[in-house]
Amino acid sequence: MNKTKESKTEVKALNTKMTLVNFLKNQWFLLLIVVILIAGFTGAKNERFYNKENLLNILDQISVLGLVAAGTTILIISGNFDISIGSIIGLSTCAMAILINNGFSEISAMVIGVLICIICSSLNGFLSVLFHTPSFIITLAMAGVYHGLALSITEGIIQTIYGKMEGISGARLFGILPYLFIVSLIGYLFVHFLLKYTQLGRRIFAIGDNARAAFLAGINVNLNKILFFAISGFLAGIAAVLLLSRLGAALPDTGAGLELRAIGAVVIGGVPITGGMGNVLGTFFGVLLMGVISNSLNMLRVNPYLQEVFYGLLIIMAVAISSVRYRWFGAK
Amino acid sequence: MKNKQLILKLSSITKNYPGTRALDNVSFDLCAGEVHCLVGENGAGKSTLIKILSGAENPDTGEIILFSNSYSQLTTAQAIKMRIATIYQDVDLVESLTVADNIFLGSEICKQAMVVDRKEQEKKTIEIMDRLRIKINPTMLVSELSTADKQILQIVKAIFRDAEILIMDEPTSSLGFEETNALMDLIRNLVSQGKGIIYISHYLKEVTEIGDRITVLKDGRVVNSYEKTKVSMNQLIQDMVGRSADLFFFKEKTDIQDEVLSVKHFSQKPLVKDVSFSVRKGEIFGIGGMVGSGRTELVALLFGAEKKDSGELIYKNRVITPSSPSRAIRSQICLITEDRKVTGLFLDRPVIENIKVVDNEMHKFILNVKKENLSVFKIVNSLDIHLSNINQDIESLSGGNQQKCILGRWLSTNMDVFIFDEPTKGVDVGAKQEIYKIITELAKQGNVIIIISSDMPELISLSDRIGVMRHGEMVKIFDKDEVTEHVLIQEYLGYQEKTKVIK
Repeated sequence: MNKTKESKTEVKALNTKMTLVNFLKNQWFLLLIVVILIAGFTGAKNERFYNKENLLNILDQISVLGLVAAGTTILIISGNFDISIGSIIGLSTCAMAILINNGFSEISAMVIGVLICIICSSLNGFLSVLFHTPSFIITLAMAGVYHGLALSITEGIIQTIYGKMEGISGARLFGILPYLFIVSLIGYLFVHFLLKYTQLGRRIFAIGDNARAAFLAGINVNLNKILFFAISGFLAGIAAVLLLSRLGAALPDTGAGLELRAIGAVVIGGVPITGGMGNVLGTFFGVLLMGVISNSLNMLRVNPYLQEVFYGLLIIMAVAISSVRYRWFGAK
Repeated sequence: MKNKQLILKLSSITKNYPGTRALDNVSFDLCAGEVHCLVGENGAGKSTLIKILSGAENPDTGEIILFSNSYSQLTTAQAIKMRIATIYQDVDLVESLTVADNIFLGSEICKQAMVVDRKEQEKKTIEIMDRLRIKINPTMLVSELSTADKQILQIVKAIFRDAEILIMDEPTSSLGFEETNALMDLIRNLVSQGKGIIYISHYLKEVTEIGDRITVLKDGRVVNSYEKTKVSMNQLIQDMVGRSADLFFFKEKTDIQDEVLSVKHFSQKPLVKDVSFSVRKGEIFGIGGMVGSGRTELVALLFGAEKKDSGELIYKNRVITPSSPSRAIRSQICLITEDRKVTGLFLDRPVIENIKVVDNEMHKFILNVKKENLSVFKIVNSLDIHLSNINQDIESLSGGNQQKCILGRWLSTNMDVFIFDEPTKGVDVGAKQEIYKIITELAKQGNVIIIISSDMPELISLSDRIGVMRHGEMVKIFDKDEVTEHVLIQEYLGYQEKTKVIK
C-alpha cells in the first residue's frame, strides 16, 4: 500500500502540466509574445528589419549585455547588486588594450582582463561582507574607484589595439551565427545550469529568499556571497573581452551604463528586486527585448535621443506585467 | 460597579487561528477610573485580546461596546478615534526627534504654514507633564531617554491625544524597582483622573497592588474575575494552571542512558546569565519560563547562532562549543527555530529545496535530482506531509505541514542533538500529536533532545526533566515526577508560597 502511495506522489510531482495558463505564468513567455509583436510591427513598417544581416546584427549587439545580465541574474536572485560592473569592464578593457600594446599576447591579455574583473567583483563582495553593508552601497562607491583607476592608467587617452582580437568578433559559426552570440549563449547556459543543477544554485536562491534561515541551516552566507560576486565578475570579464574585440579600442567609459541595463533586463525577465526567485531564461528574453526594441527604434527612424525614454518605459511595463500576472494567475 | 461608568464591554468574543482557538467566548469590561488587570500564562489569549481592542485583529464572533457604541470589530483608526491607546513594550517613538516633537507628531503646532512652533510645543508638553507630575525634559532626544522614560512618554503621548482607555502590555518587564514604582504612581494618578486602564503583567505582585479588578485567562477562556481585595496570589496561580488531564498525553518510556551533553556557564548578558545543565542520551530536556526569560536566547547561543560572552558545550567528552550554526551542524547539533516563517523557511521556494538545504544528494558537482526527489518522497511519506507536489511553494502548506518539512530537513541529515524551540507553535492538533510522536521516536533512538515550550501540558508530558528560566538564569531543574503545572508556574513567576500575600 505504501508503495502505491509513493508512486502516486511521484507521478504527481513529475507531472508538471504544460497548459496555456502555466505558460502564461512564465514571464519569459509573455516577453516572447512582446518580442514577436514588436518584430511584426517593425517588419510591416520597414521590411529591412527581416534582413538576415539585421537580425544577426541584433544578436551581435546583445551579446555583451547578455553576459553581464546573466551574471547580474545570479546577484539579484541572491539579494545583491553590483552597479560597478560598467566601471570594472572599463578598467579591464583599458588594461587589456595597454597590455596588448606593450607586447603581451592576446591570450595572456585576455586572461588578465578576465582576472581583473573577477578580482574587482570579489572585492566588492568581500567589502560588503566585511562592513555588513548592502552591496548596492559598496558597489556604488567602488564604481568610482575602478573608473578612477582606469582613468589614471590610460590618462584618459583612448587605447586602440589596431585590429588585434578581431578574430573573435568578426567570426561566424557556419558563416551565420556570430561567435559573440554563441559565447553569450554559453554564458546563459552556464548560469542556468548553475541555478538549476548545482548546490551553489540552491544556495543562491536560499540566501536571496531568507539569509537568516540559510545561516541557521549551516550555510556560510558570507563566503557564498563573495563567490556569487566572483562568478558575476567572471562573466563580466568575458563580456569585457568581447566588447574590446568588437570596439577595437578601449576607454575608461567603455561599458558605462551596462550595469543598469543589465539590472533592467533582469527585472524585465521577472526576477523580483528582493531576490529569492527567478530564472535566467527570463533574463535572456529581457535582453532580447531590449535589443529588438533598440533595433526597431532605429528601423522606424525614431529620434535616437528618445531611446532612453523607451528603455525606461520598458522596465515600468515589465513591472506592470509582473503585477498583473500575480493578480490574475497568482503566479510569482 | 458602584457608581462607576462602564466605558468598555466585550461580550462573548471568539477568535480562531488555524488550529487553535485563541479566545473562546471571552467577556471583559472596563470602567472609567479603574485598573483592570489581565493575567495568564504564555498563550492564554492576553495578546489576542489586546490586538482585538486595538484593531489589529478582528474577532470571529462577539461584540465590542465602546462608550455605548456597539461594534462587531474595530479598525486601528477606529480604535484611536474611540480613544483607545495601546502601550507596547517595544516602544514606538521616533528616536531621532525630541520629546515634545514626539508628542505632537502628526498634529504639530505651526506658526505660519509649515513652520513648527517649537516653543509653544515645549510649553504645552510641560503643562501636560505637570498635570501628570512627570519630569522629562521636552527638548531631549528620545534616543537619550531611559527605557522607563520612553515608556512614560508613550503614556503622555496617549493622554495628550485624549485617550480614555489605556492598554499596557507588560510595561514593567524592562524596568527596575524605582522605575516600576514611578510607573505605578503615574497609573494611580491617571485612574484618579478617570482614565480606564487595562494592565497586563505576569508580575503578580504588581497586579495585586495596582489592580482594582483582576481577570485570569487560561487557554483563551476567562477562568475567574476578582475584586482586588478578594484574591490571593496563590489563588491566581491556581487559576492560571490546572488543566484537564486529556490535554496531557502519555509518553512512551525511553531508555535514558549516561550524560552526553553538558552545557557549561553559558552567558550573554543581560539576556542569559551563567546557565549550566546537562542532558543524557535518550532524554528529553524541557526548558520552561515566561516569554522574555532568555530561553530562545540560550538555545541560539548553544547553536552558535549568536555571539556569547562565555560558555562551553561538551558532547561525548569533547569540547565542541560551536562558533557558528555550520560548526554546530558539523557536530551533529540542530536547532528547529521558534519563528518558522522568519528563521526557518524559504517561503518562495519549493518544498524540495526547503527540505534539502543542509546537504544535497550530489553526483560530483551536480545535484542528483532523481535521488533527491526520491529522498524527499521518503520524508514526505514517512512524516505524512500533506502536499500535492514536492515542487510547490512551501508557503502554500499548512503550518503543521511546514513544520514537518523542517523536521524532515533535519531528520534526513543524521543529527544527534535536536533543539526544538516551540515545536508546535501555530500547528493544528493532529499535526501536534504527530510531532510529539516524532520527537519521542528521536529520543528512543538515543538522541539528545532539548525542548523549549510555552505550552505547559506539552512541556510536562514530553520532558523527562524541566529546567526553568527566569530573568536569564536557569533557576531550577525539576524531575518529571516532582513537577506539576502549579509548581512550574510558581517557579516561572518567582513566587514562593512562603512570601505571603500582600494586602
